[in-house]
Amino acid sequence: MKTEKIILKNETGLHARPASEIAKIASKYQCTINLIVNDKTINAKSILNIMAAGIKSSTEIEIQCDGTDEEAALAELLQAFNNNFGE
Amino acid sequence: MKITDLLSKDAIKLNGVMSSKEESINQLIELMTTNGNILDKEKYKQVVLKREEEGSTGIGEGIAIPHGKTDAVTKPGLSAMVVPDGVEFNSLDGQPAKLLFLIAAPNTKDNVHLDVLSRLSTLLMDTEFRKALLNAKTPEEFLMCIDRAENVKISENKDYNNSYEILAITACPTGIAHTYMAAEALEQMGEKLGHKVKVETHGSSGVKNKFTKEEIKNAKAIIIAADTKIDFSRFDGKKIVKAKVADGINKPKELIEYALSDQAKVYHSNVKNEINDSNEKEGVWTQIYKHLMNGVTHMLPFVVGGGILTAIAFLLDDYSINPANFGMNTPIAAFFKTVGGAAFNVMLYILAGYIAMSIADRPGLAVGFVGGILAVQGTTFASLSDSSIVLVSSGFLGALIAGFVGGYIVVFLKKICSYLPDSIEGIKTILLYPVFGILLMGLFMLIINPYVAGINTAINNYLSSMGTANKVLLGALLGGMMAVDLGGPVNKAAYTFGTGMLASGQYEIMAAVMAGGMVPPLAIALLATLFPKKIAKKDRQAAYVNYIMGLSFISEGAIPFASSDPLRTIPAFIIGSAVTGALSMAFNCTLMAPHGGIFVIATIGHPLMYLLAILIGTIVSALIMAKLKKNLPEHSK
Repeated sequence: MKTEKIILKNETGLHARPASEIAKIASKYQCTINLIVNDKTINAKSILNIMAAGIKSSTEIEIQCDGTDEEAALAELLQAFNNNFGE
Repeated sequence: MKITDLLSKDAIKLNGVMSSKEESINQLIELMTTNGNILDKEKYKQVVLKREEEGSTGIGEGIAIPHGKTDAVTKPGLSAMVVPDGVEFNSLDGQPAKLLFLIAAPNTKDNVHLDVLSRLSTLLMDTEFRKALLNAKTPEEFLMCIDRAENVKISENKDYNNSYEILAITACPTGIAHTYMAAEALEQMGEKLGHKVKVETHGSSGVKNKFTKEEIKNAKAIIIAADTKIDFSRFDGKKIVKAKVADGINKPKELIEYALSDQAKVYHSNVKNEINDSNEKEGVWTQIYKHLMNGVTHMLPFVVGGGILTAIAFLLDDYSINPANFGMNTPIAAFFKTVGGAAFNVMLYILAGYIAMSIADRPGLAVGFVGGILAVQGTTFASLSDSSIVLVSSGFLGALIAGFVGGYIVVFLKKICSYLPDSIEGIKTILLYPVFGILLMGLFMLIINPYVAGINTAINNYLSSMGTANKVLLGALLGGMMAVDLGGPVNKAAYTFGTGMLASGQYEIMAAVMAGGMVPPLAIALLATLFPKKIAKKDRQAAYVNYIMGLSFISEGAIPFASSDPLRTIPAFIIGSAVTGALSMAFNCTLMAPHGGIFVIATIGHPLMYLLAILIGTIVSALIMAKLKKNLPEHSK
């Protein structure tokens, strides 16, 4: 399992668009991908799950990828986070 | 904010038949306007459409949540539409959208649309809920579905809210005042800042408001505001902020904010350097103070019980029967003296044991305890071979040294044992630490005993033979120290010295110390009585309560008044307490109990003169404050 902790930087938090972007990326991979926020586990492949968490700016998020393509999945997700989802 | 607060039945359309994404958005905007929250329909529509260009809000599962945040919206609102046959929405999963929600959000900083989105998504995750919405026959039924689902979710949320964001522990050496003041300050500040805070108090009456495992699990951070040693082991993996108990009282906001920030360090019980890290930050003196106070805290009950019972023995006895055996002449006196003596005899063992335990955790206790016993016995190497040598106790000073050295012996042993294979981990605490710890402790005590006993005897002789002038000076110094920080380190230094001297049979010093500590709260109360205008009206009631605080020897009662105006109050306290301490010495008052204030007056030598000393100091202090402090206007708050 690969994990990485990041702080959500984009000002508006994980609203619909970034949430769908995460889900879009996550769905491409076979591995299980979860976001851990405040001890809650969120399935990163479900937009609804991500949006329901209502993650606000400067929240700490742990990305957990577990499976055959975990490394690539984590790398692409990190890149999306670091680019602030193009915002 | 509830979904049903944002969505009215007029903004819901069931059985929509839509041919395109744009048509359905237009329809949703029309519905939205019935909420009366859209200033400029065109502008709002542009924003919503622009958002769709960035990426479809058709999030799959037949759901679409278009939204727009703009100045054209006055307050947040929702509109909803059910399209039974679905409408093409460029959804992520390619499926047509059947359940459409439009969110309107004003252009404010608090990102209200994120909250709405979050709530809505939470509800929509439930397949049954989506089905119920699609099958709703009327807008009323649609709304009712949402209302019902929301109430269920909210009650779940409430359970979650029952947990606390921050857990805090407060503790001070005496455990009477600071502990609870810090607890209150943290709780109130938490409420003010909107963070739920639960405080576990480690006071003299034990641990109150204890955290459950669940609460620790749910907490984001732990604040420790304590001047005594707190066991961290149950907080493994949590962010911990360590501070003095005074910071809990004076800087609750900073502590809470720091605890929730990323700067707060996560504690791991198995990582040693991190503990050392935080200890280093505390500074050597803070650490020594903390270890010492752990010893004093545990010793106090023995001194109080033993001291008062012994004093009662003297009260009940008849001096004339046999002056040399005073206190044991009548059976009833002998009873009190024996029981009190039993408690008194172990006070120094307890002191040494718990100082060592504070330094080295549980393995330190036995080593320090034995060191304390050896210090009290005064055993030396010379006495082992020559039984005619009269042993001289190393007393209070010896026990202090035994406690600290014993603690560090065990720390040293732990370091050495860390090189041993893990397979013998189990025998370290049960075999190696006790055997080698006590052995080394014994060697050390027997070596230093002759010298420490010498110093101890010298101090005793000096104190016993001290001329009146020096006694008065010492009384003034100790009395004044009691008032400097009202329960802080300086106060505790004087107090510890006083209790330590009880063990050596020097009762005058304790009398001066307690008298000095009683003055500040009494002076505040007297000031409020004689010159009410000097104290704000809202504080006056609390000032009168200080009569009781002062008479009970709780110096801490004066803290709120001192901290609000330190430059005018503290000097007055110090002078008044010094006067009282000096007078108590001059009057040869004695006190065998280290606490109790007016309630142990019967056990005080020269009680009337003692009261006079306190009264004079109180008047002096109150008058100085009356002179220094300005009159406050009556309406001030």
